[in-house]
Amino acid sequence: MKAVAPPAAKPLSLRGLAKRYASADGRIVEALLPIDLDIAPGEFLVVVGPSGCGKSTLLNILAGLTPPSAGEAWVGDVLVEGPDIDRGMVFQDYALFPWLSVIGNVEFGLERQGVPRRARREIAMRYLEIVGLADFAGKRPRELSGGMKQRVAIARTFATEPSIVFMDEPFGALDALSRRHLQHELLRIWQQHRKTVVFITHSVVEAIYLGDRIVLMTARPGRIKTVIPIGLPHPRDPTSDEFSAIERRIYADLDEELAKSFRMEVTEQSPIVGTRYS
Amino acid sequence: MTDGSAGCNRRLLMRLISQLTKLLPYFYAGVGVVVLWQAVVWIAKPHVSLLPSPLMTVRTFVELVASGALLSHVAHSVFRVVSAWSLAALVAVPLGFAMGRWRRLERALDPVVELFRPISPLAWIPLAILWFGIDEGGKIFVIFIGTFFPILLNTIAGAKSIDPVLIHAGRILGCADNASLFRKVVLPASLPQVIVGLRISFGTGWAAIIAAELVAARSGLGYLISNGMEVLRSDFVLVGMVTIGVLGVLFDVVFRWLDRRCNWMRE
Repeated sequence: MKAVAPPAAKPLSLRGLAKRYASADGRIVEALLPIDLDIAPGEFLVVVGPSGCGKSTLLNILAGLTPPSAGEAWVGDVLVEGPDIDRGMVFQDYALFPWLSVIGNVEFGLERQGVPRRARREIAMRYLEIVGLADFAGKRPRELSGGMKQRVAIARTFATEPSIVFMDEPFGALDALSRRHLQHELLRIWQQHRKTVVFITHSVVEAIYLGDRIVLMTARPGRIKTVIPIGLPHPRDPTSDEFSAIERRIYADLDEELAKSFRMEVTEQSPIVGTRYS
Repeated sequence: MTDGSAGCNRRLLMRLISQLTKLLPYFYAGVGVVVLWQAVVWIAKPHVSLLPSPLMTVRTFVELVASGALLSHVAHSVFRVVSAWSLAALVAVPLGFAMGRWRRLERALDPVVELFRPISPLAWIPLAILWFGIDEGGKIFVIFIGTFFPILLNTIAGAKSIDPVLIHAGRILGCADNASLFRKVVLPASLPQVIVGLRISFGTGWAAIIAAELVAARSGLGYLISNGMEVLRSDFVLVGMVTIGVLGVLFDVVFRWLDRRCNWMRE
């Protein structure tokens, strides 16, 4: 059984992390150019970039689901070599197990950790209360709305007390209202539990609303374009002048990349030959 | 209190009626067949060795039940199907999972499967007799062939159709090795499809056992039918046929119940 005190958040270091793969017609595709980045313990880092910039590839490598072709990722002093229950992940399409009840889903990781039945029921219930779904413990995932499903997935991820949480566009499939509500909830949970979070999104507003720092990625091949620290205190007001100023700045950078990726799609050139990057 | 128990009784009665209502189509179908049958007997007046009347068939049925002969035939047929089908499941389910999860194995074995699949299990009867004689072995072999492919193909389909994100979630949530990932994710995710294969194959097995017993057996419902033909007792033939039909429906009911119990897609 796990210690009573939750493990402290851990830092994450990326050292020359890169990914290339052979496409169907045998070309070598550079998905990610070498990335160096340090993420502080308990930091909320948001990665923003155009579609196909390798954001999800990056996250899958960090979670240990995909091996990198070069470089290393370290969580604390542990090298990432495969998935580990100490590194949680929230997926865009929820990835709830449809044959398990809501509480069964939340208990899944706890059971794998060897938490005894009674204790894991209690822990799962506590996390369902945190996301406001205690009354739905016995339901099946398919009886829930998208927003509720993602809250279950968040409870499932946080219940195992991972020292770092990866979130791959977790609110991308939700309507605007649920999205707003869940952003708020996530911040509250993060502030209480202080996990290191790496969060991927398409939405600039979401990035500024949530992140301590924003990493802006280039169009294919993926690379860090800029890192923007957000100094604003929580809760942040998207209508404030400071918020808008950051938003304008990010959009200026992002527009360049969007134009590049658009040209790439139009000309259908090899992403390497067709793109210049400084 | 009287009110409550009356309400309870009433609800029970309603449930019983609704259950019986569901059986009505079967009842009508049965009555229809019997009426048509009796009409043919009246109009065409066939010799009793060609087509006995429904009443005579019922009488033979009662005789065969009373003498225990029918039960013994049923037991033989059911035993053969159940043992061959279980054997096929023991081989086909693990093989199906292996082929569904490992592309390389599937590519290697798929041509073999595709080559043997279209061969009717009945085509194996001559070889089965040559190899195993007319004892139990031959018939179990034929049913094994007939039930093997539906189980295998459905298991492969189930194992292949698992959403990859569920595999990812399982690995992230602590299923580090393939064994635990299989037990906690792959198996439950594909179970509904596996049950479909088990149900379908039991049906094909039940159809094939009759054929296998027609050719080579001294017991079983197929033997009852073929023997009835030889001794010109078409009432035996008809009793055998009706029993096959009724048992087939009953097996399907059992499998549907099982399906409802274990199938997370239908709950």
